[in-house]
Amino acid sequence: MNKTKKIDLVKAYLSDAFFWSYSLIVCHKVIYDKLILGTRYPVFSWTTTIITTFIGILIATILFNIKNFSVGKKIKNISEIENNNFPFYKFFSYFLFIITFVAGLKISQVSMDDLFSSSGASGAGKLFGAMLNPNFSIFEPALFATIETIFMAFIATVFAIPIAFLLSFFAARNLMSHNIFAKSAYVTTRFVLNITRSIEPLVWATILSVWVGIGPFAGMLALCLHSVASLAKLYSEQIEGINDGPIEAMTATGAHQIQIIWFGVVPQIVLPFLSFTIYRWDINVRMATVIGLVGGGGIGTLLMQYQGLAKWNEVGLIVLIIAIVVMIMDFASAKIREAIK
Amino acid sequence: MLKIGSLEKKYPNGCHALKGVSFDVEKGEFLVIIGLSGSGKSTLLRCINRIHDPTSGVVEFNGKNITSIKGKELREARSKIGMIFQHFNLIPRRSVLVNVLTGKMAKLGLIKSILGLYSEEDKKEALEKIKIVGLEGKENVRADNLSGGQQQRVSIARALMQNPEVLLADEPVASLDPATSHSVMQYLEKINKEYGVTVICNLHFLSLVRQYATRVIALKNGEIVFQGGPKEINDTWFKEIYGEEAVEVTIN
Ligand SMILES: Nc1ncnc2c1ncn2[C@@H]1O[C@H](COP(=O)(O)OP(=O)(O)OP(=O)(O)O)[C@@H](O)[C@H]1O
Ligand SMILES: [Mg+2]
Repeated sequence: MNKTKKIDLVKAYLSDAFFWSYSLIVCHKVIYDKLILGTRYPVFSWTTTIITTFIGILIATILFNIKNFSVGKKIKNISEIENNNFPFYKFFSYFLFIITFVAGLKISQVSMDDLFSSSGASGAGKLFGAMLNPNFSIFEPALFATIETIFMAFIATVFAIPIAFLLSFFAARNLMSHNIFAKSAYVTTRFVLNITRSIEPLVWATILSVWVGIGPFAGMLALCLHSVASLAKLYSEQIEGINDGPIEAMTATGAHQIQIIWFGVVPQIVLPFLSFTIYRWDINVRMATVIGLVGGGGIGTLLMQYQGLAKWNEVGLIVLIIAIVVMIMDFASAKIREAIK
Repeated sequence: MLKIGSLEKKYPNGCHALKGVSFDVEKGEFLVIIGLSGSGKSTLLRCINRIHDPTSGVVEFNGKNITSIKGKELREARSKIGMIFQHFNLIPRRSVLVNVLTGKMAKLGLIKSILGLYSEEDKKEALEKIKIVGLEGKENVRADNLSGGQQQRVSIARALMQNPEVLLADEPVASLDPATSHSVMQYLEKINKEYGVTVICNLHFLSLVRQYATRVIALKNGEIVFQGGPKEINDTWFKEIYGEEAVEVTIN
């Protein structure tokens, strides 16, 4: 047996152990505690969790070598003689899906009562009625706030471009595999980018507002940071997908590494880069609105203020403006991206 | 001018592509390398200009060991060795002129080349090279808008821009039709005969080999199985190189 097969087998086993432990924990915590016992907030205890995990691992170990019982083996495409009589792994996958669905319903507290209660419905009716009758007297401040949002998104994107552009070369595997320094630079860049990207701009805005104070600047920085990370990832994937031919040709002429990149890589990526960037600006306008909700300035902050005062006619106007702006941005960015293809 | 001594190449994935290849190349030769797909022809060419690093063995160029030189010295050596490729490998979205000028990279300053500040002499030289390959008038056309044969001629002009002593050609006509193949081969011949550039060329069609080569080396599984004149490749040798089942196809 070769090495990759062995690794696949280990991965399959670990997946099985995870699936079994997961299903036992979910069954115990949600189905048993919440549904059957009806506890609203079950207490968490490490002992029971660890015990259930162990039982899960035990079951996985016992069942791992029985044909057509292991989901992990199916995922890793480890072939077994098909035993059509009893494909247990299928039932187990359905079971996993169903318990996850039930647990999800329970945890997100889906409640038909709340959705259709009469007091709730009349409240919603009043609210939508007011929103459908927007108050145009605040049109000017709302427009200015919107412009603030668009500019904030624009500046965030513009600042992000050069940084993302530089970083993307370090995050491209095909350019960073020639020696150990390059490889470690690649790994580090990727790692930092992934972390930065996995934190939502909204969270970044809250963190940064502690540093630079609440307002558009914090929002802009948050968007910028997130844009750098996502653009660098998109850019670097584009670089990884390029044709190596021109790079080889430039290398063969005796060109310097920088010249190789400038002539062998850059001409192949400018258009996709441009397209990603415009799309990113579009995303940033929407995100800037959301960041405004937590005090990042612009139209989002205005929306939050009127919502706090329960002035639904004003909220209606703001929502209308946001919808129009998003639609225009969407349309424009799609058109521009099409034009430069 | 070029000495290859017991060259070995093992790829990181364990593939043993070259197993002790040794041969010399004299100035002015038109050396053709033949062999089945996967026999190591491309690997051999790329070890000569160090696009790939040989695992062991020696590459000597003009009496200088270039097997493990680095940085500026390596770029210097590469600049004297032109290379053309099966898929031309031109820079897309750039004009023919810019593509040919990239042959001068090693001699240009970094900043100047990136800002596109080429001297009038360089431009004049590039235009001359474009003329040599019969593409005058096309210098401002985007390189990726040309036909395959024309693109290959641009890549020859780019290699000429290096004023190379050796030209490596990795299956230069493999993606061209027969007529265009001959035209490109004739340009290579012209460069070899009129400008005295030594050519080392990988080819698939024996009819082309017989017509253009002054000497032939055949590779099989990373080893040299034949060395000699193009006329010496008879039926026995053919079966030895390409296997018992092989039948020769010709290109006219
Ligand atoms: N970058 C690479 N990494 C790993 N193995 C490679 C690489 N390039 C080539 N090889 C392997 O090295 C061997 C020789 O390949 P090479 O490309 O030199 O053959 P070739 O004679 O040029 O074939 P063809 O006529 O198909 O171009 C092949 O077995 C190939 O799979
Ligand atoms: Mg090849």
